[in-house]
Amino acid sequence: MTAYIIRRLLLLPIIIIGVTLIIFSMVWSLGPDRLLASYIKSPEALKTPDAEERLIRKYGLDDPMPVQYFKWLGNVVKGDWGYSMVGKDGVLQSILQRFPYTLELAIYAFIPIIIVAIWLGVISAVKHNQFADQFIRVFALIGWSLPDFVFGLLLLWIFYSKLGWFPPGMVSTQFDLAMRESSWHTVTHMITFDALINGRLDIFVDALRHMALPILTLAYLWWAYLLRITRSSMLEVLRKDYIRTARAKGVPERIVIKKHAKKNAMIPVLTVAGASVIGLLGGTVFVETIFSRTGMGRFLADAASLLDYWSIIGGALFYSFILIIGNLIIDVSYALVDPRIRLN
Amino acid sequence: MAQKISDFRKLSKKFLRNGTAILGIALLSFFIVIAIFAPFIAGENGDNPYQIPRVSWSSKPIAPTAEHPFGVIGGRDIFYGVIWGTRTAFQLGLIIASCAAVIGILIGSVSAYFGGWVDEVLMRIVDIFMSIPFLVAAIILTTILGKGLDKVMMALIVFGWMSTARLIRGNILQAREEQYVLAAKALGQKNFIIIVKHIIPNTIFPVVVQMSMRIGSYVITAAGLSFLGIGAEPGYADWGTILSYSRNWMTMLDQSWFAIVFPGTAMVLFVLAWNLVGDALRDIFDPRLRN
Amino acid sequence: MDKKPLLKVQDLKTYFHTDDGLVKAVDGVSFEVYPGETLGIVGESGCGKSVTSLSVMRLLDEKGEIAGGSITFNGEDVLAIPEEKMMKIRGNDMAMIFQEPMTALNPVFTIGYQIIEAILLHQKVSSEEARAMAIDMLRKVGIPEPEKRVDEYPHELSGGMRQRAMIAMSLSCNPKILFADEPTTALDVTIQAQILELMLSLQKEYGMSIVMITHDLGVIAELAERVAVMYAGRIVEYADVVTLFKKPKHPYTWGLMNAIPKIDDEKEILYNIKGVVPDPLSFPEGCRFNTRCPLAKDKCFTDVPPLEEFEKDHFVACFRINELEEMIKSEREGELSAK
Repeated sequence: MTAYIIRRLLLLPIIIIGVTLIIFSMVWSLGPDRLLASYIKSPEALKTPDAEERLIRKYGLDDPMPVQYFKWLGNVVKGDWGYSMVGKDGVLQSILQRFPYTLELAIYAFIPIIIVAIWLGVISAVKHNQFADQFIRVFALIGWSLPDFVFGLLLLWIFYSKLGWFPPGMVSTQFDLAMRESSWHTVTHMITFDALINGRLDIFVDALRHMALPILTLAYLWWAYLLRITRSSMLEVLRKDYIRTARAKGVPERIVIKKHAKKNAMIPVLTVAGASVIGLLGGTVFVETIFSRTGMGRFLADAASLLDYWSIIGGALFYSFILIIGNLIIDVSYALVDPRIRLN
Repeated sequence: MAQKISDFRKLSKKFLRNGTAILGIALLSFFIVIAIFAPFIAGENGDNPYQIPRVSWSSKPIAPTAEHPFGVIGGRDIFYGVIWGTRTAFQLGLIIASCAAVIGILIGSVSAYFGGWVDEVLMRIVDIFMSIPFLVAAIILTTILGKGLDKVMMALIVFGWMSTARLIRGNILQAREEQYVLAAKALGQKNFIIIVKHIIPNTIFPVVVQMSMRIGSYVITAAGLSFLGIGAEPGYADWGTILSYSRNWMTMLDQSWFAIVFPGTAMVLFVLAWNLVGDALRDIFDPRLRN
Repeated sequence: MDKKPLLKVQDLKTYFHTDDGLVKAVDGVSFEVYPGETLGIVGESGCGKSVTSLSVMRLLDEKGEIAGGSITFNGEDVLAIPEEKMMKIRGNDMAMIFQEPMTALNPVFTIGYQIIEAILLHQKVSSEEARAMAIDMLRKVGIPEPEKRVDEYPHELSGGMRQRAMIAMSLSCNPKILFADEPTTALDVTIQAQILELMLSLQKEYGMSIVMITHDLGVIAELAERVAVMYAGRIVEYADVVTLFKKPKHPYTWGLMNAIPKIDDEKEILYNIKGVVPDPLSFPEGCRFNTRCPLAKDKCFTDVPPLEEFEKDHFVACFRINELEEMIKSEREGELSAK
């Protein structure tokens, strides 16, 4: 067990170097000319005839690749991730400013995702091949095949354009203004939590209203996936001998399912649930674009359409770090949860 | 051999008795027919059939009419785009899935065959590629490669082979311990021959299942890139491209709903078809579920 | 034996509706179990012996169905008992132990928890008392340091210890009948003997009946008083253990007896029943053993031989009882000439 954790930690630097190398080499392959464009802030700088060559040399864009890579890596470690055209600020600063919004959305989406998915998955397994099971399976199949941007657009059309119930954006204009006043305390950078801290229940509710459709969009995608995992895990466990043992000693069916089966079936579900947190943090590109939320995903989408390379690279780095660290945490805690693995 | 044939018959019978599998096959056949007969259903744009013909110079969406049954957005006929987009979707899905599978099979079997440090290095490379979220990786690579469906395909292939590699490596390592492989080894057959003759045929089915399941997600991702404006060129007959026109009408979707509903439905059904077929195949070939 | 039977199974038919067709896993099985005795049910895997016990406890999965017959336990019609009452009977009056103690114990609960749960379900005691009873029970089944073991997880115990814990759990409510489904098959030979001995001594102490389901005639010889031999979903021979071992009358039983080596026997060649158990999806017409029986002819392929009383308390389902003697003789001669 300890050996496993140590091995994972030793591999961490290799993975990080590999990821940065892949990401950097993609940028580097653009060539000095195209890269230069992202360094110059106005066309004036290129007026003189030899300006381009001079600037390429100045920024070291014709250095050998390893030299450039280590220079860039050094800057990344120092926190200098380049200038973001999208954020009109440093890339890292722009990302850190936007990340809380994405985190907030992920937190709120996670709770209904887990509860509903497990609930439906267990019902589906217990009522195997009955009507409820068929119904839930169709529900999951549609969700599994429905791209989030299509579903998001449909929701926006119905619940905003037609019914006007749930608007896009982060918060209504009048509250947005209130949050810019000097009396507003910004603590978490997450609107709902800051609203509670400032004692503004109206802003809290308003922010939640703006989050409803994005949450539903994200949730359906993950319901479909997680409930399938829950269902198959539960079906597998229900076939196990120890379930028959429990029945043979007279345990009521309800408790057989709730305790004996569910506790075993949840082990794989929890790993996927952990992965869903990473997925939620990294899977908001479309949702934030469609519902005009200024989080990380929107940042990446905007950077991509503006060809703002340093922002794209920064976003990719940030997402990869989340994925790497998140997976590490999941694997280690998974090993800690299962009594069988814990011992070996 | 006779045993294998009767096995195959039994399995195909099982497949046909599976209702969802039938639905999947039916949907897939429907799309194949549409793709083949696209020129007869929607006509053919003379200059370049994959370019949706411009029918209006106004950017305002036009609701469905008899002439343009799915409406018009960005001056383009949505019906034409949806019908010809079927061909695009097949191209995308099949090319990406098969290229990624070939790379994955190569790397996975090399890794399992040589073992030792070769395996270690290749598997760490797999880990590294898997540490960049798929969509994010696709976004960077397409922005760097530039617009165009070929670039999208390339990006998705570069970041799409890893799970196949892991799968095939795991299967080979497992198959190596199987009785028939041990028997072949005991008879003095060469390692390489054993892999080609005994192991690959027995490990290829999971890969086929995985391929059919991933086609849907590749098509979705490619459409997503087009939706973000970094995939196919504007006006290309591609479901994601039609959707991307809605980005200009995001606050007035009731004026352009047809630009979401029709390509969206096509996309959902297409992905559903592959998922159903893949799911049914997995149910049939999963040895754990077979008894 | 004129005592009233504790369990009486009559013409039990248990069918499974599988994707490939109807499987008649148990097809007209009758037997009785008397208080305090051990009945052995013996047969090859897939002959329906486990399904029989699961049917009696009404623990069949969704595909299984009791299609006919009757089960009377303790004077009650088991098939008519409502499910809620059946739950009270399971674990309390009827208990069961299984072949694989690793998979039969829930891996995420301690063995103590699993025993205490059974006690609390059926007895009005506090959880502290239940815990003390569980520790006591673990001690009785010969688990060392029961105070410590009670808080351990199944994977922390050895196979033999797990089976002991399983027995402790099944006996914790002092059942009237215990179904033991191949309880020793998954264990080492030395452990097997210990477990059987344990079961015998516990039976003496508690006086419960045991239905011992096994493919192992050695286990039967050691434990059972009466034996039912099953083949392909039917009982082919039913007698007390001595009669059965001394004078087997069904060709299948005879084959089984001669397939095990005996130390005190000068015989060198083991008899081998030819062929394999028929596919349960398509059992043969007539006697189901006819595909492998050296004596099968005419009627054997068309009519089902009834289980008839050949002599007192010795039941055989075979049309060719008389010809078996000759076959045995010729087999012996063949053996001799082979020497």
